[in-house]
Amino acid sequence: MHDVSALSPESRTNVKPNPTHFRLVLDVRQSLPAWKQALFLAGSLAVGLAISVAILAVAGISPIQLGSELIGVFNADSLRAVLVQAAPLMLVGLGASIAFRIGFWNLGLEGQMLFGGIFAAAVSIYQIGPPETRLLLMGVASAIGGALWCLLAGFLKINFRVNEIIATLLLNYVAVYFLFHLLYGAWQDARSAFPQSTPFKPFERLSDLGFGINSGLLVSVAAITAAAWLVHFSRVGFYMRVISANRSMAKVVGVPIQTVTLWIVAISGACAGIAGFVNVASQEGRLTQSFANGYVFSGVLIAFLSRNDPIAVAVVGFLIAVLFITGQTLQVFYQIPFTMVQLIEAIIVMSVASSEFFVRHRVRWIR
Amino acid sequence: MTTSLALKGIRKSFDGVVVLDDAEFSGNAGEVHALLGENGAGKSSLMNVAAGLYAPEAGQIVIDGEPIALSGPSEARARGIGMVHQHFKLVMPFTVAENILLANGSSAYRSGIKEIRAAIKKQSAELGFAIDPDRRVNTLTVAQQQQVEIVKVLVGGAKILILDEPTAVLTDAEAEQLLETVGRLARAGTAVVLITHKLNEVKRYADSVTIMRRGKTVATLDPSTTTAAELTQLTVGETQTLPARAQNANTGTRLNVGALSCARADGSMALQEATFFVRAGEIYGIAGVSGNGQAELAEALMGAREPATGEIWVENLGDITHAPVSNARIASIAAIPADRYSFALAGGLSLSDNFAVTEIGSGRYGSLAHLDRGTMQRDTASAIVEYDVQGTRSVKQKAALLSGGNAQKLVIAREFSRNPSVVVAHSPSRGLDARACNAVHQRLLAARDRGIAVVLISEDLDEVLSLSDRIGVMTRGRIVAEFERPADRQAIGRAMVDHA
Repeated sequence: MHDVSALSPESRTNVKPNPTHFRLVLDVRQSLPAWKQALFLAGSLAVGLAISVAILAVAGISPIQLGSELIGVFNADSLRAVLVQAAPLMLVGLGASIAFRIGFWNLGLEGQMLFGGIFAAAVSIYQIGPPETRLLLMGVASAIGGALWCLLAGFLKINFRVNEIIATLLLNYVAVYFLFHLLYGAWQDARSAFPQSTPFKPFERLSDLGFGINSGLLVSVAAITAAAWLVHFSRVGFYMRVISANRSMAKVVGVPIQTVTLWIVAISGACAGIAGFVNVASQEGRLTQSFANGYVFSGVLIAFLSRNDPIAVAVVGFLIAVLFITGQTLQVFYQIPFTMVQLIEAIIVMSVASSEFFVRHRVRWIR
Repeated sequence: MTTSLALKGIRKSFDGVVVLDDAEFSGNAGEVHALLGENGAGKSSLMNVAAGLYAPEAGQIVIDGEPIALSGPSEARARGIGMVHQHFKLVMPFTVAENILLANGSSAYRSGIKEIRAAIKKQSAELGFAIDPDRRVNTLTVAQQQQVEIVKVLVGGAKILILDEPTAVLTDAEAEQLLETVGRLARAGTAVVLITHKLNEVKRYADSVTIMRRGKTVATLDPSTTTAAELTQLTVGETQTLPARAQNANTGTRLNVGALSCARADGSMALQEATFFVRAGEIYGIAGVSGNGQAELAEALMGAREPATGEIWVENLGDITHAPVSNARIASIAAIPADRYSFALAGGLSLSDNFAVTEIGSGRYGSLAHLDRGTMQRDTASAIVEYDVQGTRSVKQKAALLSGGNAQKLVIAREFSRNPSVVVAHSPSRGLDARACNAVHQRLLAARDRGIAVVLISEDLDEVLSLSDRIGVMTRGRIVAEFERPADRQAIGRAMVDHA
């Protein structure tokens, strides 16, 4: 037991007792009501957004212009683009949040997306199954592809104690180069000079259902619903809560930690795999070399902001899609590089991460 | 002789639990002053106050006649108080010189190391230690690391040297050598405070002794004129005669632990062929000074730690030594761990989640796809009433909001609701007030009367004595002696320290 109050930084530097000196006291909070937590979260989000607005202002976009661009997103055309973009974002966010719930830090979402896309494209290229079920098969194949790629890291963790952060992150590169190997080789479209596969046939693509809704969005909403049920209403979800709340207790009370972990790892990878499928089968219409670029970052951000809750993932995923599309507009009209979007994402992640500190600790200056 | 360190009326509590209450201490330059007491008597806490680690809530620290307020450990160090903690505060991958430089802050590394190296050489030579300043600490033995700690505080200019259970980690020969060195230091003018629970050390090496019990100072004596029996008496308190108790009809063995060995994380052996058995309808108490393998034994029995060798056999389950925690095992063995929030409860989950968790796998609360929250909450609500868990507003509230006693009642409610055949309880009343403590004890006695085999592992000798039918004394991972009820407290106390 450490008496944190006696270890203030002041006492280290100030050996001579000084009756008027201030010291910083850090207490660990026992608990904090939900509304206060939300307040800290909102506050840190506001700080993050304020920094982002300031950076954009320096880059030449006044807050007023920014505001009008943001409002501009909600016209019919842009909204369609936002909803198309929201589907894969929700799915990677879901994949991240489900794994994070049991403390499996899956940073391999991009690699899993790539394998999802590769498996789906394989079904298209090798013309597996009749046209009527082709799209369904591509979806299933993408889930399997993503799950297997993620399970590889899970297997390494369980059997050889390889840190999954390292394993999943590095497997991204393996996946990228495997994709390059295909796109610069066997799978390259003979009629194209670019490293991309032959376009999918119309029945191999996720169609627009009208009202600006893409069928990819339906897939992700279905996945969100299933995950929400899994997490909140099933025994598996209960096991996940126990594992994350107290792992050593979970072991003693007989929670099958390993089985649950492997299944969750597989589901996490499958979500990312389906996100890859949604991207190649709706936006791109073929396997390209960059359809998963930057998604691991967005996935982690969405999981973080949604506190790993599936329903919140849907909301945050939509908002990040708005950010993406606004970013694209800014890129076109103001020559702002798209990396600015990632910069803003990073700033928001850091602000939210630091709010965690204030949720857990109480900081006071005392005399 | 002058009083170097005096502590007057010190009071300190953690989360409402009072660990020091009006504690007094006074140590002189030139003498070895032993601080004697059982586990949890407040010895280390009192000295942590002197070392500036804990800020006392009341009382006064007087150094060389001057009352002072310590702002932290660095100020204590600047005032000449050096403490060698039971768990060394060394940076393992650093060299000896780097560690000592780190503690005795000089901002320049190169010149600092040069000066420190010379100081280490000088100080080690005076003490008769063979310390190479450039060896990395993780290549040293435990005894050598301790020497580094001592040199560290002396190089820092300590005039008051506090050693917290220094011999606990040493072999007998090493301990003897250390205590002789410490005696020489004292004769050279240092005030040495020796925290210990070993009577023979006090008798042989201390010039005076202060005895603590339950956070209070009981007496300060000259050990040369006091008998070991008197010291024991003062340490453990009044000996009370225990009421006789009807033996349950002689029944068969329910739990057998045979030659159980278990390794700690660092590879040393926590349990060394511990052997005992427990009959149905009896409480088998395991007494001992903490850190002698009790925690590892409890964890092995509860399924939290896999033993290296040996056997745990339970009637109707068979050999479960290496078996994973199964539904059958959970149904038969009730586990009441010492640290509720490490193995028994998840503070962030609701009461009903915590209550239902052990039965989830049995299918009582729905299938894999569906969680029957209604039944979980109804069962929890009725258990809360039956086991008198207080301070609950709703079964949906977080378990972390329960007080220690009520959290313990919730654990007991859950564990006993399954009609177990064996109960493993480790320090079940730790941190509880008298009423909650009594309630827990009544539950254990009731379990015994129902024919359950109860293993009670506790560092609180009173608890073991008052509840157990038979008592095993655990020292260095073994059961070194067994006593039948009514057991002689002094004899048990001797068994606990003689083998240590």
